[in-house]
Amino acid sequence: MTAVVWGAEAWAEVRSSLDRCIKCTVCETACPVAAVTELFPGPKTVGPQAERFRTGDHSPDLSVDYCSGCGICSRVCPQEVRIAELNSRARAELKRERGAPLRDQLVARPGLLGRAGRPVAPLFNWAMANPVIRWAGERTLGIHHKAPVPRSTTRTFSYWVGHHAGAKSARRVVYFHGCSTQWYEPHIGQKVTAILEHNGYQVVIPKQDCCGLPLQSNGLFPAARGAVTRLARQLVPGGTDDLPVISSSTSCGLMLKREAREILGADSPELRSVSQRTYDIFEFLLELHHRGELRTDFKPVPLTVAYHAPCQQQNQLIGKPALGILRLIPGLRLVELDRSCCGIAGTYGVKREKYEIAMRVGEPLFADIQAEGPDLVACDSETCRWQISAATGATSVHPLEILHRAYGGS
Amino acid sequence: MGTDAVVLGAGTAGMVAALRLAAAGASVLVLAEGEGGLPLAPAQIDVLGYRPQLVLDPLGEIPGFLDSRPDHPYRLVEAAEVEAGLDWFLELAAPLGYTGNPHQNRLQPTAVGALRPTCLVPETMAAGDLSGGGSVLVVGLKGFRDFHAPLLAENLALARPPSGAEVRARSVEVSLLGDPRDLRPQLLVRRLEERPVLAELGREIRSRLEQEDLVGVPAVLGLERSHEVWQRLQELVGRPVFEIPTPPPSQPGQRLQQHLFRALRRLGGEVRLGARASGYRASGDRLVAVKVVTAAREVEIPADRFVLATGGIGTGGITAGPEGELREEVFGARVSRGGAPEEPLAEYMATQPLDRLGVEVDDEQRPVGGAGGALFENLWVAGAALAGAEPWREKSGEGISLATGYRAARLAGGGRA
Amino acid sequence: MNTWDTDVLVIGGGSTGAGVAWDSALRGLHVTLVDRQDFATGTSGRFHGLLHSGGRYAVRDPGSARECASENRILRQVAADCIEDTGGLFVSTPEDDLEYADRFLAAAQAAGMEIEEVPVGVAVRDEPRLNPKIRRAFRVQDGSIDSWKMISALLRGAQDHGATVLPYHKVVQVIRRGDRVEGAVMEDQRSGEEVLVHAGCVVNAAGAWSGQVAGLAGCEVGVRPGKGVMVAINHRLARAVLNRCHLPSDGDIIVPVRTVSVIGTTDHPVADPDDTECSPAEVHQMIEAGELLVPGFKESRALRVWSGSRPLLPKTETSAGAGDREVSRSHTVLDHGARDGVEGLVTIAGGKFTTLRLMAEDTVDVVVRKLGREAECRTRTEVLPGSESHHFYWIGNRQQEAETDPPDDPLICECELVSQHDLDTVVARRPNWRLDDIRRALRVGMGPCQGGFCAFRVAGMLHQGGRYGRAEANSALREFVQERWKGVKVISWGAQARQTRLDRWIFEGVYDLEHLPE
Repeated sequence: MTAVVWGAEAWAEVRSSLDRCIKCTVCETACPVAAVTELFPGPKTVGPQAERFRTGDHSPDLSVDYCSGCGICSRVCPQEVRIAELNSRARAELKRERGAPLRDQLVARPGLLGRAGRPVAPLFNWAMANPVIRWAGERTLGIHHKAPVPRSTTRTFSYWVGHHAGAKSARRVVYFHGCSTQWYEPHIGQKVTAILEHNGYQVVIPKQDCCGLPLQSNGLFPAARGAVTRLARQLVPGGTDDLPVISSSTSCGLMLKREAREILGADSPELRSVSQRTYDIFEFLLELHHRGELRTDFKPVPLTVAYHAPCQQQNQLIGKPALGILRLIPGLRLVELDRSCCGIAGTYGVKREKYEIAMRVGEPLFADIQAEGPDLVACDSETCRWQISAATGATSVHPLEILHRAYGGS
Repeated sequence: MGTDAVVLGAGTAGMVAALRLAAAGASVLVLAEGEGGLPLAPAQIDVLGYRPQLVLDPLGEIPGFLDSRPDHPYRLVEAAEVEAGLDWFLELAAPLGYTGNPHQNRLQPTAVGALRPTCLVPETMAAGDLSGGGSVLVVGLKGFRDFHAPLLAENLALARPPSGAEVRARSVEVSLLGDPRDLRPQLLVRRLEERPVLAELGREIRSRLEQEDLVGVPAVLGLERSHEVWQRLQELVGRPVFEIPTPPPSQPGQRLQQHLFRALRRLGGEVRLGARASGYRASGDRLVAVKVVTAAREVEIPADRFVLATGGIGTGGITAGPEGELREEVFGARVSRGGAPEEPLAEYMATQPLDRLGVEVDDEQRPVGGAGGALFENLWVAGAALAGAEPWREKSGEGISLATGYRAARLAGGGRA
Repeated sequence: MNTWDTDVLVIGGGSTGAGVAWDSALRGLHVTLVDRQDFATGTSGRFHGLLHSGGRYAVRDPGSARECASENRILRQVAADCIEDTGGLFVSTPEDDLEYADRFLAAAQAAGMEIEEVPVGVAVRDEPRLNPKIRRAFRVQDGSIDSWKMISALLRGAQDHGATVLPYHKVVQVIRRGDRVEGAVMEDQRSGEEVLVHAGCVVNAAGAWSGQVAGLAGCEVGVRPGKGVMVAINHRLARAVLNRCHLPSDGDIIVPVRTVSVIGTTDHPVADPDDTECSPAEVHQMIEAGELLVPGFKESRALRVWSGSRPLLPKTETSAGAGDREVSRSHTVLDHGARDGVEGLVTIAGGKFTTLRLMAEDTVDVVVRKLGREAECRTRTEVLPGSESHHFYWIGNRQQEAETDPPDDPLICECELVSQHDLDTVVARRPNWRLDDIRRALRVGMGPCQGGFCAFRVAGMLHQGGRYGRAEANSALREFVQERWKGVKVISWGAQARQTRLDRWIFEGVYDLEHLPE
């Protein structure tokens, strides 16, 4: 299967991959959720096995809802069964049939939450930090009162972009910043822009909306398909249809790279084009480095940093390029955390009935972090950073923030 | 910049080759479609168990075995190198307490109660060598579907090791703390890492012991903390305790895999799973890069040296088509049936058409190319991808993987570019 | 020797015999049914599972088509739990004659079938894997029927009405006094003990084997076994039964039955109905043929291959046609009194699974006449055990049950979702189960791994539960592994080849089955 296929064919290929399952159970031993709860019988059980009992007219099973969608099963499967993708589809069918609860609809729309929170950010943040209100939220929305939630910001990233006089250059890239940079962490986008400009690139930052990933992981497929096709159009502003598209959000990058086609079955000329050109920021920088084009005018960063590669970054199948770059920084003591999942899996761990499971999934990682006691934890995914900080109290950053600092940024 | 050596496949052979290369200072990237056979295998190191008669001295009997099976992969490796590979493994796997003598097979019970020859075992299985007989209490766990203590014990009691010594066996079944239900292995193995659960199990076994001097349990004694669990259980029971391998998934196999993955990481190597090699680029008879499908596109991964350890039919390294066509998936290397028949035999327990399938190699473990020379000068093959072996019937799989992986690394290790 | 009297002794525990037992029992007759093996091990357990709408026979054998159409309706009423209402499509592939489609439509309507032409676009939308190049499509009332469930329900129903059913009892002698058959001696194939049953009437319902049984009574029945090969594909490629709209030939039906799709079939005359070998050539013929209905069929995973023998009647036994598919697939009741001067013996010959009820009715009508009894057939309306709710079986049933009411015990067969509780329930029904019998009752070992994981679990559990001794458990395990190999060895390619490697690893590498004591 070297060819990348789109549309109905992509899903047909995912579904027929169930034929390759030989029941070896490798996926079940690697699944972080099945290891901590009886509620989830395991990826093989709800995936290639259960799929033989599904006809598409009525979902016979419910436990697939406890799959966190971390994708580890697909990665460890020696037979190329698209287990996580099968499970995502089955979850969507379940929600389509039984209706997604209000909570799923809410956490699935970060723009909505972000917009709702922004004009009154201090109040929103206070509310999210207030246990009484969080309890009320759990009761009414099903969001666990202890679940990590982002802090809203008064100034969005696009506000900053509007006031940023970017450098002109013949070498250009498109930057896909994603919702969390837009609404919660605009400093990430500013640093990405600075790093790329430092390396001589002009950064094109078109107006952009959500990629649809949270909608997808909550089973709201038609809306998700609409979102990702719209985003693909937005990421091809005039004259940029052959530029690399740089993503600093691992899960949203993966959406463009693969999930839109394999899970959503979305398809459009723009999407095909953008998907093929999408790079994780460190994947892009490491390629620059391999070509000898990365600036290495680093200042020492005398810190101990523990690095956790999030699942959705690992699912891009590009290795751990952030490590390759961070290792170049003088003075930095880098510890590679050797655990598979922090538990949060996007919005999985904020749900009332899944919060405890997510915390147990993350326990080995949290324990390693606490044992290591690093100055910083670096992790490419925003939701994982929030989970890690909430669970361990450690300060977590995107690895590009460390790179930014090595380049002299503050 | 970049990678010195790319190893395709993360099973025993691939990991051995990768670890040896990394230890020699190479930067190593292991690319694998998924986890290999390690998490499924009993984690006993077979070298040679049947030829077809029972083998007592595996290293010593390889030459005689090769007389009758001249195409067997052991032909590729000098006895001294097989031994060196095994010694190296014993050292590498010392944290898991691997033990054994390459010149002396052990006879360990299987899950159905056959007495099976193998060579090296982890500490958690060490007491289970019944070559000299013994009296075993076999302990079943209620609700665990992959271990049937009564059948095991009754069969085991009939076993007669060549020493003529007597094996006695009796079975009991115990319940884990209030949990008689479906004990899925991934949960069971972690439950046993909980001290109260283990303590209860230990007390229960002790109370049911009669004059048995050994206790055999299914191989589920913990994952990350197996040493502690096993040792504690022995203390609680007051007898040597040994694990008996179960059908997949294998907890001892997962322990070994974790150990090998971590060892490679410590040496600066990387294992990248989910990344199946989809093709290659060569320049003349030199391999330049392998192609890998990432989430978005196919990319090239250049390296100086390459090891093919993707296994045979079972793992998809080689595929069989409906018309009997056989294909090595990455390089299109020539595939041989290794002397097995073309048509299936009616009797299951016989050498069947796919049993000895593998890549045809020259004396240097390089795939044979068109003109009979090597397909590529910098590509070596190791493990179950090699033609000529029947690892499960012969009990030779790990030995072949260790020996040929070890040697592939040596052949690939000379002269960094 | 254990001896008893019965009104009707039915020889053969396939669909025909089970149907006759159910019909006779409902009419108040005392029935004894025997089979040389487990029930449904002959042709009935070896077909594709198609509940015919009649479409397959519409053009060439209108009588059979009409029978199928009407029997299909009745079975849906009385045996819903054994039937899945998949519906069926007859499609004209690019290789099929469009003119035939017109004849087909007219013939189907004439046979009383419910049939509706649907636009090609609709058919392809409903069946995404269907060849998009089809040119016409007709929707019919095909369904799939679980033969083991059906036969088991018929026998259970008969037993509820006083019938005695004996598997593994082979007829070794037909008791004949002068020109009258009075019963038979059966040998228990496991214990070797014999039983003698005196019967008012003996019904030879041995299907493709009925010539052999008739021979024991000194009669001749010219049944010709016609072997058909079937291949099961690992999952459902379609929701509905897919038929090519052309004169029936090889490999032109794909039936979604339980968790698999079955493609069938071929037709080769064989001397011995026990000849069930399948050649690689026959298998490839099926796989190639599947491509026409479902492009990419060849890449799908073939799970298993098997064959069964149709009980074909040459024209000397019926009034119709010539050539195997040319002969009527209808049935004939042979009254050996009228035919051969041998009273007390009736042979029901020919026919097919879908018309089993009608075959039984016609047979028992003759039997009651011969016994001088008067009793109306009740099987048109009497609902079979298990089907009282009139709900059709649904593929998701087991999955849904496992989810809504999680079993409190281990799942032993993951592929087909069978729990230890299911196993215990089934083995309590009678003594002496072979693993292969349990497979038919529960589908254990019928999924992708073909027993790789579950065979050991079942053997171990039956040993622990005291149903198997040690040696019995060992040989049961060996026998099952050998039996599964039979259906896999000629399809060892693709994913199933990988599976055979893993299974071999488990049996030889992990268990060392080869060196297990006897």
